[in-house]
This record gives sequence, structure tokens and C-alpha cells, in this order.
Amino acid sequence: MGPPPVVTGISPKEGPPGTRVTIRGEFLGTSAIDLIGLKICGCDCLLSAEWKSKNKVVARSGPCKGLGDITVTTRSGGEGTSTVQFRGYHESIGPVKESAVWVEEAAPPSLPWGRRPMSPTTYTPPDPLGLSTEGEDCKFPEEELHEMFPDGSGKLSDENFQPGWYLLEHHSNTSFEDLKAGMVFLQRKVEGQKEGQLSFLKANTGAVMDQLDRLVLLKNMYEEDQRKNGKEPLQSLETAIEDSIKLADSLFLEILSRKENADKTREALSLLTRHKFLFQLPSSIDQNIRKKEYDLVVNDYNRVKNLFGNTDVKLFQKILSEIDKKIEDLKEKLFVRMKTMPINVQEQMKYIRLLISLKWEEDAAWVAITARKEYLMSLLNKVKDHFKQKEEQDNNEKGKRHKSREEAEAARRSAWCGAACAALSAELAALWALARAYFAAELAGQPALSERHAQFKEMIIAGVELFSEHMRACLLSGGGVTSADAARARLVANLRHLREAYESLLKLDLPSQPLSIVERVIYDYRVHGMVVFLQRALKRVKGLADKETWKIEEFTEYGAITKLPHLLETYVKEALSDIHKCVWCGGRRESAALDAGPLHEHTRHVLHAYTRVLDALANDHSGQDFNNTSLSVALDQRLEETAASGAAADEGGSWQRRLLVAAVNARYTRRVTLANIAAAFDECTFPQPTQALKSAEESLSSLEASIAETYLEHKGDPLVGTIEPSMYMGRHKVASAELVDDARPYVYEIINNLIAVHAETDSVCGASAGRYVRDICETVCEEVARLAACAPPALPRPAAFRATLEYTLLSVAIRDHLTRKAENYLKEALAAVPPLELEEDKIRMQSIVEDFKKRMALQLASLNCNTETV
Amino acid sequence: MSKKPAAQPTLHKVIMVGSGGVGKSALTLQFMYDEFVEDYEPTKADSYRKKVVLDGEEVQIDILDTAGQEDYAAIRDNYFRSGEGFLCVFSITEPESFDATQEFREQILRVKNDDNIPFLLVGNKSDLADKRRVPLETCRERAHNWQVPYVETSAKTRDNVDKAFLTLIRQMSRVKRGLAAEEDPAPDDAGRCKPSCCSIS
Repeated sequence: MGPPPVVTGISPKEGPPGTRVTIRGEFLGTSAIDLIGLKICGCDCLLSAEWKSKNKVVARSGPCKGLGDITVTTRSGGEGTSTVQFRGYHESIGPVKESAVWVEEAAPPSLPWGRRPMSPTTYTPPDPLGLSTEGEDCKFPEEELHEMFPDGSGKLSDENFQPGWYLLEHHSNTSFEDLKAGMVFLQRKVEGQKEGQLSFLKANTGAVMDQLDRLVLLKNMYEEDQRKNGKEPLQSLETAIEDSIKLADSLFLEILSRKENADKTREALSLLTRHKFLFQLPSSIDQNIRKKEYDLVVNDYNRVKNLFGNTDVKLFQKILSEIDKKIEDLKEKLFVRMKTMPINVQEQMKYIRLLISLKWEEDAAWVAITARKEYLMSLLNKVKDHFKQKEEQDNNEKGKRHKSREEAEAARRSAWCGAACAALSAELAALWALARAYFAAELAGQPALSERHAQFKEMIIAGVELFSEHMRACLLSGGGVTSADAARARLVANLRHLREAYESLLKLDLPSQPLSIVERVIYDYRVHGMVVFLQRALKRVKGLADKETWKIEEFTEYGAITKLPHLLETYVKEALSDIHKCVWCGGRRESAALDAGPLHEHTRHVLHAYTRVLDALANDHSGQDFNNTSLSVALDQRLEETAASGAAADEGGSWQRRLLVAAVNARYTRRVTLANIAAAFDECTFPQPTQALKSAEESLSSLEASIAETYLEHKGDPLVGTIEPSMYMGRHKVASAELVDDARPYVYEIINNLIAVHAETDSVCGASAGRYVRDICETVCEEVARLAACAPPALPRPAAFRATLEYTLLSVAIRDHLTRKAENYLKEALAAVPPLELEEDKIRMQSIVEDFKKRMALQLASLNCNTETV
Repeated sequence: MSKKPAAQPTLHKVIMVGSGGVGKSALTLQFMYDEFVEDYEPTKADSYRKKVVLDGEEVQIDILDTAGQEDYAAIRDNYFRSGEGFLCVFSITEPESFDATQEFREQILRVKNDDNIPFLLVGNKSDLADKRRVPLETCRERAHNWQVPYVETSAKTRDNVDKAFLTLIRQMSRVKRGLAAEEDPAPDDAGRCKPSCCSIS
């Protein structure tokens, strides 16, 4: 608290009420609002106070009179003191005084007999000294009078009248002579009064006469009155008064009643104004409902309930009931609106809150949740129905090309998937948000019942399951395989839809169960995609048979192959890369990789199909007879045949050739392509389909074997068959004397045939051709042995020599292709022939063999070239 | 309302007299509140009271700032009656105001009926030296004739303001202690004062 205010200066120090006073001092407040009180001579002047500074305040003096302190009160310093004083006085306005108002200057006629004012307060005795009083200007300071006459008074009528005061007050400037004259005047007046009645009457004759006249008049009037109204005038007076009262009543009755009405009306009006809120509420509710300002309605309603909830006034009750009805309607409307889908979650929550704040009986939020769930279900179903219907429509439309229809269906399904996904993610998000708010009691409702959690979970699961069911129906039952790019694009698009939906569900922080359902769908769809790709590969592989042109694409170390193995590799690789690209990698919170089982299974199918295709191709010889003639007649005839069936040759050569090519394909596939496929699996980081590869390898090798067998069967049998006739063609029996110097032609035929086989297989199979030649040699040797065994045991010398020669030449010719078994056969045949005993024979044999080698060098070279030694 | 302390310091009633607009109020406000009021507003009658320490003694000075205008001349007598010391102010830029001091002096002497009444002739507006129209000598001469001190002040620069007031108060307190005759500052003043005193009493 600061120092109290002190007033040390005042300007002016006196003045009539309303004087502008400048108050100076110290600590008169730190600001205008700090100044909280100002009294001048006890009159509060704060209203007019004008704070200038802490040293100066300007105010107007109040209606005070006399000396008084100036008291300043401040908030910071409290009530203050003053060292100076203000004197207030009331100015009397006279003819010589400046005045703001008009003063009647003509003095009222002071008739000697005129009536004087009766009020004692205004009665001022005439100037007793008969001197004109001085003007106000020369007033003697009042405080000094007080000092001089502490107990006195200047008023003539007061008991403590002090003549000195009077004189100082009224005649301070009067000269002594004048005062003396006044004294004489006063004395004369006093003496005049003392002179007795006569002089008094003399002096006041006019007044006395006037009084007498009046008395006479009064008496006359009184008598007349008595005559008129009798001795007791009171009764008539009373009746007159009563009459007048009645009259007045009758006069005023109407006015009074009108006034009463007016009062009532006014009261009613004020009531209306006071309860304007209530009376206008129904219409304002309507208006706000129309404007959708539901919050306002609720606020107003709650307010009116608080204010008039338990009122006894009939009118209020009526209005309240009307309002209640409106609110009920509103509630119904809100409820319906809340339930009506589609609706924004925020809006729905708003409605729920409104309903709760309007005290809706049911669990509005739960109803909303249920409604939303139903909506989700119905939305999904609607999407499904829509697309199903479209599908049917399309199916009914005839004349469309199959492919385009398929395409359209694929696109439709894709659209279905997208729509369903979008619906699910949007609606489930909404539902979840709503439910979260509900369970977190954010909707301001009563806390959720415990079983509601389980119910809600079921709802979500039901919704998700419906979705998954639809999606399965939509995607997994997908029809035919269309073009690869389209399928891939669609697959990726669908998968993206699904994943987006899944993502959105993940973001919702849903429980794991519904998530896993969706995840399962995605997974299944991925598997489905994989299967689709593999099936497509399978289908293409199956179609390979048509693609085979038997054109040699490449000559590998395993022999000549067509494009089949490469196609297989390409198809499989394509499928794998598609799988890898599209479906293999899992999204967030999905199982990372697909199960290898179906992949391997389908890979196996593909490879098997391939094997089957090869098999079918190898064994397909419809319309082409096995050309045996080419064997027996060797090269020149072969040329002819080629010329004859040029078309066949163009297509890939003879049937045997195809057989061989197929074998080589199988072999190549087994050795190279399968390894490449395995590498491709590795590349795509798929698990190795070891089982499938192994079984494919096995089946391929068995195919190879069977092809080899078939080839041998078809090639060797006729070859072998020709031996016997040609052997006997030159007659087995030889003249004993005849000198045998050469083998019979069948040996050459055999050699030639073998050369043909070798050429054929070598042209196709390359290095691996030896196997076929070997096998044929074996059968040839077997046949030779058999024939030898059939020959008569005792041969004449030349025959034996010939036989030995023939077998030796044969063994020399096919030396490089002899297996152990074939060798045994030849030995067996040789054993059946008696050995050469004569030295001369031996020499001859030697020379013939040398000669044969020399002669047949070209043939032997062609037979033995390009052959790996056994 | 205000509680009076037990030992109330001596109260000296000073009255400012002089023609209108010479700076009576300005001097008073400068002395009281150290402020210079630029705008001119004719005074009617202002009252100020302040405690000052004079020669180690605390005294209270009551200043009655009167109206200079002739309109109020009639009520001056009443004021003068209560005064114990007078500061008669004129403006050195205005010879008429200087002439008027003569009249004021006479009126005071008539009302107080005391030649030794503490009285100080003050030539104000000394800051406006370039506009000076009353020569310093003339002023000194008049003060000398009246046997009163003469001080030139400037309410604007507060030059000699305190000196003027304090000189007067010192004079008044001497008079009150009845020492006026003995301790008259100037011997020749005293010499000239005595006969006049004698002649009146």
C-alpha cells in the first residue's frame, strides 16, 4: 500500500456548486482507475473527477455549503487528508449578478397591505435599519465571523443573535454616519410600536378597515351558509362527498378497468418477453432442424428442460409437451438417419451423440454399429449381385467371341474385386472407428456391455468372412487363362486391391482373427495366381506337340535338338518369373513365401506333360511307314526316297530321324534343360523342386530307353532279317574245291547297312550315336552266331575257310562297335566253324583280310569315325 | 476529517498579489509542485498549503493565490485581512503591472494598517530579459523606497522562486517572534522604518 493521498492545493478555494476545482497534492492515484473516491466538503464528486496526474485532479464541486476538507481516496493509498479547505456557498441571483438563467428584474409590487408569503422559511424580515444592504460582493468572510462570534448567529430571529455579526455581515462597509441614521430609524420604529393602539391603528388604518370589511363579509357568508345548509352542514357535506365519490368511481371505473386490462396485457407481454426463449423454442427447433443445427437444438432442449422441466404452469407444460413431441420426432429422424446408410462416420457419431444427449432409450451406438455391419454385408452382397448379374447378362448375349467374353469377364471380376475391396476397407474402417469410439465410451453413452465386445468381434469376422467368401468366389473360381500379359496385369491389380484392403485393415489395428482371414484370401489368391501361371505353362507345354517342326535348331554335344527343350525352358522360366514377380513375395504381415507344395506339384505336371509330349511325338508315325528299303539298298536308294517324299523330308526327315531327335531332345532336356530350370528356381529363390526334377529325369531317361528300344526294334530287326536271305542267296554251300578269296556279299551288306545306321544316328545324335550302332551290331552278331549255329556242323574246308573269313572280316569291320556280348557272339560263331589248319589257308586269310582292309578303308573309316571307343 | 498532529508547525499565511497575468499562480505552482503551467487560466482564489523546513525549523506555509483581474478587486480587502505576508508580483515585461504594485502596496497597508507587514516585491519573467521593459534600477528603487527586498524571479526556469518565498517566510517568522525591529537587515531601513512606525502608533 502506497502513501495516502494528501491534498495541498485547491483552485479556486471557494465557489458555488458546480465550480470546476483543480485539486493538487501528492499521491492522488497512480492512474485514473486508481482514484476511487473524491469528496469535497463531504459531497461525493468522484463522478466528475478527472484524474490528470498523481499531483492533479480536476473535479466539480457538489452542492455543499461551508468549509470542508477535500478527501481523495485511492486504491493504492487509501483515504487521504487535505491541508487546504474548500468553501462552498450558494449564490443568490440578483439583478446585478451574472446568471445563466433569466431573472425577472421587476420586483414584485410590495404593497403595504399585500399578502406576505406565509412560509416561515422564506420569510425575511425587512431591513431593520432601513439601510440598503450591500451587494453580495462585499461579503465579510464567514469564517472570520465564526471566529469572532463562536456562539453567535447573524439571523434576526435566532436566539443567539449577535448584533455585531449582523452588522458585519450586512453593513461592514457602511459608514458610521449611515449606521447612526439606521439606528435612529430603528429607534423610531420601536417607539412607534410602543405608542399604543391608537397610533398603531393610525399607522395601519388601511389594514384594519380591510380586516373589518372582511369580517363582515365572512359573517354574512357564514349566516347565508347556515341558512342554506342548516345547522349541521356536515351531513350534507358527507352525502355530497359520498356522491362525489360515487361519481368519481363511476367516472373512473371504466378507466380503471381499462388500466387493469392494460396492466394485464403488459404483464403478459413482459412474461412473453421474459420467456421468449421458451415460446420461440418450438419454431426455433424447427428452424434449426431444417438448418441441421442439431447441436443448437440439443442445447436449447437441455436448457429448457433445466429451466422449465418441473414447471407447474399449464402453458409452459403445453409448450414443453409440444417441444417434447418435436424432440421425439427429431430423435426418430436422427435415429433413422443414423441407421440409414451410406453415411459418414463423423456424421453418424454426431447423430449418436445427439441421440445420447437427447436420452435415446436404446443403445444408439450399438444400433449404429449393427446397422453399419449390415450395410457392409449388404454392400458386399450388392457388389457381388451386381457383377453376377452383369455376368449373366453377358453370358446371355450371344454372338460374342469367346475370347472377348472371357476378357470382359476377367475385367469384370477385377472390377468386382476392386469394388469389394474398396467397400470393405472403407466400411470396415468406418465400422471400426465407430466401434472404437463406442467401446472407449467416447460417444458419451453408457459403458458398453461386456458381451458387446465378443458380439462386435463376431460382426467383424462375419463381415470379413463374407468378403473373403466373395473374393474367393470372384477370384479363385476364375475361368480360362487369357493372354499372359492381361492375366498378369489383372492378377497384379487384384492383388493390389486385396493388399490395399488388407493394409487398411492393418492400419485399423484389428484383432488378428479377421486379419488372418483376409490374409488367407490373399494367400490363396497368390497360390491361385501361381497355379494359373503354371497351368498356363502346362497348357503351353501340352501344345508343344503342335509346335514341333522337327527342324534342328542346334547341334549340341548330346546331338541335334529341336526347339522343344528351349521352349520348355522358356515356358517354365516365364511362369516362374511371373510367379516371382506377381505373387511370390508377400506383403506386410503376410506369410513371406508361398507353400512350395503346389509349385512343385505343378512343376512336376509340366515336366510330365513335356515327357508325354516327347513320347507322343516320338511314337507318332501315322501315315509314315517304316522305310526298310533304305536300309537294304543303302545310300543311292535313300536319295531316291528323299526325292520322292520331299515334303516329309522338309518337315523333319524320316520317322526314324524324328525318333532319334526325340531321344536327343529327351536327353538334352534331362541333362541341360532340367538343370537350367533348377537354376531358374534358384534364381527366383524358390525351393528346388527336387522331387519333380528327379521324377522328370527318370521318366525322360526311361523315355530315352524306350525310344532307343523302339529304334532298335524298327531298325535292327529288318537289318537282321536281311542277313539270312542274303546269306543264303549266295548259297551257303560252297564247292569244296572252289577257292574262296572273298566273303560273301551279305557281309558287305551288313557293313553297308551298319554304315547307313551309323550315318543316320550320327547325323542326329552325334557322339551318342555309337550306342545305337553298338546295339545293332550286337543283334547282328547274335544273328550271325545263330545262323552259324544253324549251319551244318561239318563243313568242307573251303566253306569253313569262308565262314572264318567272313566272321573275321565282320569283326574287323565293326571292331570299334563291338560290345563284350557281340564279341562273344562272334567268338561263338567262330567256334562253330572248324579252325583253319593249313598254314597256307592262314596266310591266305591274312592276305585277304589285309586286302579287305585296304579295299574297304573308306567304308571302315566312315563306320568308325566319330565313335567313342568302348 | 484530517487529524491534526499534536504539535502543529507554525503557519504562515502568504498572499500573492499583483496584476493579472504577471505569474502569481505560476510562481505558486512552481514553488509548490515544481511545475510550470504554460496555459493561462485566470485565477479566482486558490489556496495551497505546504510544509517547508526553514533554517532547521519546520513551518507550514499557506499560500492564497488571489485574482489579479480588476473584476475581483472588491473582494481583495477580505483576503488581505487574513494575510500575514505578501508577495507583490509584477512582470518585468509589463510596466503597467509594475505601476499597479503601488496600488496594491497602498491597499495592503491600508487593510493591514501595518507598515512593517512582511512584504516582498517580485519582478517575474526574468527569463524574458530581451523583452524587459521595466528597468532593474527602477524596481530596486521602488523596493528601496518601500524598504522591502526585491527579487527577480522566473517561474518558467524556477530561478529565485524558492528564494522569494523563503525570504518572505523568514521575514514573517521574525515578525511573529517579535524580533522584527531588532533584526531588521538593513540599518538604514530600520532607521527609516522607525519614524513611520512611530507616526502610525
